[in-house]
Amino acid sequence: MGCWLSKQVKHTPGYEEPAVLAAETAFTVSEVEALYELFRKISYSIFKDGLIHKEEFQLALFKNSKKNNLFADRIFDLFDLKRNGVIDFGEFVRSLSVFHPNTAQDEKIAFAFRLYDLRSTGFIEREELKEMVLALLNESELCLSDDLVETIVDQTCKLVDSNSDGKIDPIEWKEFVRKNPSLLKNMTLPYLKDITMAFPSFVMSSEVDDEVLD
Amino acid sequence: MGSENKGSVLMQKYELGRLLGQGTFAKVYHARNIRSSHSVAIKMIDKEKVFKVGLRDQIKREISVMRLVKHPNIVQLYEVMASKSKIYFVLEYVKGGELFNKVLKGRIKEDVARKYFQQLISAVDFCHSRGVYHRDLKPENLLLDDNGNLKVSDFGLSALAESKKQDGLLHTTCGTPAYVAPEVISRKGYDGAKADIWSCGVILFVLMAGYLPFHDLNLMEMYKKIGKAEFKYPNWFPSDVRRLITRILDPNPATRISISKIKENSWFRKGYNSNQIKNQAEAKELVPLDVNAAFNSSETSFAEEKQEISKPINLNAFDIISLSSGFDLSGLFEASECKRMVRFTSSKPASTIVLKLEEVAKQFSLKIKKKDGGVLKMEGLKEGGKEVLAFDVEIFELTPSFHMVEITQTNGDTLEYQKLWKQEMKPALKDIVWAWQGDRSLPQSQQLL
Repeated sequence: MGCWLSKQVKHTPGYEEPAVLAAETAFTVSEVEALYELFRKISYSIFKDGLIHKEEFQLALFKNSKKNNLFADRIFDLFDLKRNGVIDFGEFVRSLSVFHPNTAQDEKIAFAFRLYDLRSTGFIEREELKEMVLALLNESELCLSDDLVETIVDQTCKLVDSNSDGKIDPIEWKEFVRKNPSLLKNMTLPYLKDITMAFPSFVMSSEVDDEVLD
Repeated sequence: MGSENKGSVLMQKYELGRLLGQGTFAKVYHARNIRSSHSVAIKMIDKEKVFKVGLRDQIKREISVMRLVKHPNIVQLYEVMASKSKIYFVLEYVKGGELFNKVLKGRIKEDVARKYFQQLISAVDFCHSRGVYHRDLKPENLLLDDNGNLKVSDFGLSALAESKKQDGLLHTTCGTPAYVAPEVISRKGYDGAKADIWSCGVILFVLMAGYLPFHDLNLMEMYKKIGKAEFKYPNWFPSDVRRLITRILDPNPATRISISKIKENSWFRKGYNSNQIKNQAEAKELVPLDVNAAFNSSETSFAEEKQEISKPINLNAFDIISLSSGFDLSGLFEASECKRMVRFTSSKPASTIVLKLEEVAKQFSLKIKKKDGGVLKMEGLKEGGKEVLAFDVEIFELTPSFHMVEITQTNGDTLEYQKLWKQEMKPALKDIVWAWQGDRSLPQSQQLL
């Protein structure tokens, strides 16, 4: 315990105590400390200011800082809880927690809804759905006729939009996901269970108080 | 001392139980995952003691090593935790205790000794194939589970191949004298694989005879004996085992038998049941972090009964969207080359895709099985103790003329998969591939939006 004052570690801006983050999320304190190793790696990859910028996020995801992708953009925006254009450590941990295998389905369903609600209107509109389908087709180098895309979008809207008001609300979305649980596959990252072994350096610098006697 | 910790909770996750064992740097406790009730062993390491003797880097290395090594005959590391003064390794709990205790009671029957030796070789072979050497193999590091299966523990002194110097030889002296190979003693730098094989030979001798082949109260005398491989078999020792041990305990590492040759040995092969090891591997699958399990239980609307394999699943708009590589956050955690799932689009009809997949499976000796909901299962042939490679292949219909094929590795070793996949299977599929999803080699102009 004597070393508490002796080593004043300089933390990244927006750093929060691992114990606080662990209490709020699905992670243990150790997992939060391991995530800090990962966070520092990403947030010092280009701008070296301890905050994750869009380019750094893209570099981590695609090994290419210039590769734009509609969905990666959306995820970045949702991670950026304070909406200031960068992801700090607290935002990083809280957002990744949604992807933890132990996190409740409802939280994942809500996150996915916000992801697809491109213009944050509280509804997934038909146009948004079409825009996203086109983005994926583009990404996959698939050119489909406009008619075909319209058909796909129409069919899906018919399936989801049970009150036929031309847009998807959170309740309709939840109902649809319950019937199609595979839609949530992207919302769970098995890697998060392995995180302490993937970034083991934290064991040396841990600042967690000892709770167990020797 | 240790009993004071009983009942205390670690990181709000594990309830500590009794002290299982204790060494210079560490204490090992039984513990229970509060959430799952699953039993684990927690190795508590005192940081100060470890740092004092300069093992700082070794600990980090040990973690990386154990993460790479998942095998039915190797004690698995589940996670690591830490506080200011301690490091905690959460390990697979092996109930049956040390093999050493069995040996103390006297020699073991030949068939049983052979089984342990087969499992040991299988574990060691597995490690060596990924550049990991144990370097401290001895009965104390060999544990037995409920079913009398062997588990190798304590990779505390193993080192990755990257720690090799330019001559490709390891340079640290470690290990317990009685089990240590002559070239390790002579401190010349040595080949970790050959040194492990020597130790396996000593272990086999001990299992069969009930005592050590090299033993002398005077350490220098003992080293001399080891250097010349000077030992005697008891009269009753079967001649086929003698021949094998003599080939293993060859003081010259260059002429010492290799693992692949050991596996060809007729005594070794007797009753070598790779299926048995395979079943063990499957039993292990009970512990895992299966994300899909939750999904499989409920009925999905598109997994219609009438669907045959040639009739792929029809995707709705959200299914299509969720195929984007932008959703795949796994890139944050590891290099994209290590991904266990790949997707490609194809402009060929589903029947052509299936035919091609069958052809490729045949080429690589994979068995093809059809599962529910339009999933093809490809499985490698059983061999040795290695986990069998298995893939799930799903074909989705984007439109009648465009399909998305998703190949997920569901079982087996990741490294092996990467090799097979990258070097052989991927090129073999090229006739039916329109584009690989999330492929970095795409020209920038095509990555619109």
